[in-house]
Amino acid sequence: MPPRVKTEKCDGCRAQKETLCVLICPGDLMVLDPASGKAYCRSERDCWDCMSCVKSCPHGAIETRLPYQLGYYPAKLIPLVGSNKISWTVMDIHGNVERFTFKTRNDD
Amino acid sequence: MPAGIGVYLCRCFGRISEKVDLERLKSKVVKWKGVSEVRVLTALCRPGDLASVVEDINAGRVDRLVIGACSPAIHPESFDLLPVSGLAADLVERCNLREQCALAHPGDQAGATTQALSLLKLGVARLKAASGSVTPEAAQWNRRVLVVGGGIAGLAAAGNLARGGVEVVVVEKRPWLGGRVAQLHRYYPRGCAPRCGLAVQIERLLQSGRVSVHTLAQVADVHGTAGNFQVNIRQYPRLVGQECTGCGRCEAVCPVVTDISKGLPGWRKAVLSPAGAVYPQAFAIDGQACRGPACGRCVEICPAGAIDLEKKEEKSFNIDVAAIVIATGTAPYDVATLERYGYGRLSGVLTSMDLEFLASPNGPTGGRLIRPADGRPARRGAFIQCAGSRDDKHLRYCSGICCPVTLKQTRYIRDAYPDAEVTVFYMDMRVTGHLEAMYRQVMEEGTVFIRGNPLGVARNEATDDLEVAAADTLSGRRVLVRADLVVLAAGLVPEPIADSYRLVKDGFGFVPGHLPCSPTEGRRAGIFVAGSAQGPMDAGGAIQSALAASAECLALLDQRSALRPLLDKTKCDRCKRCLEECPYGAITLDRDGYPEPNGTACRGCGVCQGGCPLRCICLPGFSSREVAACLEGPSPGGEEVRVMAFLCANDAYRALDGTVYPVNVLPVAVPCAGAVNMGWINDALLNGWDGVIVAGCRPDECHYGRGSELAASRMAKLQETLRSMQVEAERVRVLTCGIGEGGSLAAAMADFVRRLAEMGPSPFKEC
Repeated sequence: MPPRVKTEKCDGCRAQKETLCVLICPGDLMVLDPASGKAYCRSERDCWDCMSCVKSCPHGAIETRLPYQLGYYPAKLIPLVGSNKISWTVMDIHGNVERFTFKTRNDD
Repeated sequence: MPAGIGVYLCRCFGRISEKVDLERLKSKVVKWKGVSEVRVLTALCRPGDLASVVEDINAGRVDRLVIGACSPAIHPESFDLLPVSGLAADLVERCNLREQCALAHPGDQAGATTQALSLLKLGVARLKAASGSVTPEAAQWNRRVLVVGGGIAGLAAAGNLARGGVEVVVVEKRPWLGGRVAQLHRYYPRGCAPRCGLAVQIERLLQSGRVSVHTLAQVADVHGTAGNFQVNIRQYPRLVGQECTGCGRCEAVCPVVTDISKGLPGWRKAVLSPAGAVYPQAFAIDGQACRGPACGRCVEICPAGAIDLEKKEEKSFNIDVAAIVIATGTAPYDVATLERYGYGRLSGVLTSMDLEFLASPNGPTGGRLIRPADGRPARRGAFIQCAGSRDDKHLRYCSGICCPVTLKQTRYIRDAYPDAEVTVFYMDMRVTGHLEAMYRQVMEEGTVFIRGNPLGVARNEATDDLEVAAADTLSGRRVLVRADLVVLAAGLVPEPIADSYRLVKDGFGFVPGHLPCSPTEGRRAGIFVAGSAQGPMDAGGAIQSALAASAECLALLDQRSALRPLLDKTKCDRCKRCLEECPYGAITLDRDGYPEPNGTACRGCGVCQGGCPLRCICLPGFSSREVAACLEGPSPGGEEVRVMAFLCANDAYRALDGTVYPVNVLPVAVPCAGAVNMGWINDALLNGWDGVIVAGCRPDECHYGRGSELAASRMAKLQETLRSMQVEAERVRVLTCGIGEGGSLAAAMADFVRRLAEMGPSPFKEC
């Protein structure tokens, strides 16, 4: 399932030409709607669910639901990104929650 | 042994050591990596004890300092060791062991000691992560200032700046300097003529040799930041050269005649006379009204050959200035919109400014107060206060100066006609301070004051008088006052201030500044606002404000140290968010599109670092490594509830000093609530903190304008994310706190800790 942008949280990175999600998407799928100033995914079927945009969004405005092979709605995967750690919250269709925290980068 | 971090703990003559077990702290801290020296001293603020610290630095045993003593708010100067030891201020970390440990946890020595240990851990971790000393940059710029507006405020500011040794460029929209004040007959309360002071002021200004004046010129565009503004100025042709001797023949032959104002008799021509003006004493030609070379009568008659109607093109030029003073002033409100008073329709209805001109010797009647319609003496005057002011449909504010102006002008009529009948219709007479004496005197002179807004002004065809109908709200009776002149005390509206300055205006177009902290600044460093561009004010007030603005400006020009946010270009993706969010316009883009903070414009609020999605711009001491160290250093474990509190250093942090707050909360000072990056909160949660508090000023009280507002909106977005992750959104909380409200802040913290205890440990804690 492709990324969904919550329009009330997205500020279009203050209507810059290229938002952070646009810059980071490896498939070049995210674009900024010039009319609304919000980002959206222009070709949902091409998304590989890499989650890069979700992690990069400074407002947590992008949400990815898990692909149907893994879980139907409302299964979700949500990251909380810290500077040295990231925590993934996984929710299955029954609402069971599991969290995984990893060390991602060590500045030292 | 190589130099390391020195940890110096102060007993404070027992005030700290009675409550905190310093010896136990010492035995623990001494084992920490990177700490080379730990000492417990009686009172660090004593010269003797401080000297021993300096000795350690100078002997090379210590190159970074953790001072465990009183709050940084106390003795802010004592630990600035740069002059004696060469140790930069950002390598000295102060841990608040007195106010926020010893005094904050009475009767709980173990708790106070644990808290002290956490604070020291945080300080040491942060110093270990510090990249090294940040040297303040010396500001380098020209000493040239642009003053926009050649009215009384602009001239006062320019004069003061020139005396301070600054090169000043004055830009005036009209053909002559002096502004509205040059059109006045007399000042209040003294009754002296404004031209007198104005002439002296302009003379001094020109004699200083540091001032250049551009009349008929306007600022077209502004770029840059404090210390380095590039200003584009557009100048309209005067069409009269410097050879003009002021003989006035051109005016006499000019065939174009227009009205002076809607309310006054008389005319003016396309050739504008400098009568009443002080500088330059030369004619000018109104390019809009002039019929051009086709007419050419003035060119023919001018004996000096000063007029050239062909040179009609505008001139445009750029200047570089270090600072700008805006003194664009005000204009009278358009009272023709108050139809019931008949301005522009009934002859004899004037504005206050019209009356000034009528009473002035340079006026259309040579200063004689007569009825414009028939030239009979105008011995009966009716003044209508608040013409448009304090009115929801017109100006919502009180212009402040109209009441004293009317009191002054009743004298004009009384001076001309000792048997004058003067009536003033008012809502509330607002004359404050020493002006009260003038009010009393005018009442004793026999002027009648009637409380009530007139219903309308009409002409009585039989007697040819003006009649003002009003309801006297004190007696409840209707009154009808006959008058020769009706004067509308029009309010003041700001002259438009261009958006290119990016100043924060109030709802009416004034730039009132940030009261009371920085009254002459419109939230853009290097641009000061003087005079009635700030708000309605009289000439005295405008001069005061101009002197204040020029003093601020001089201080800025001499500012020689600048501390600015640091940018990690390897991480920055040039999103420009910092540039957008900086409340002072201190950030510009360099040639490659990277943000370039201007140290002098920067006030150190840290709003840029709070908004940076990549956390690559930060104030010294707040790099992601340093913040991560703060969060990981005293990393909480165990069952106990632990809360990280980021407190605004202006209000909340100081407010917490001396209060009793829960041991579970670890306070960290930040420059502003808006400086807290949401990444820090993510980090805190991921490092096992059960909750995070961000505390700043109340929204209206933020020193930096929008800090706490920004914090609240960012936090709301994070809370939504947490909620979707099935984590209690209440684990992060924004609190607001005034400097005197430490008690309620501590209570809110206690309540927060209680709520967290009910919620149980953070879901990220076990990892």
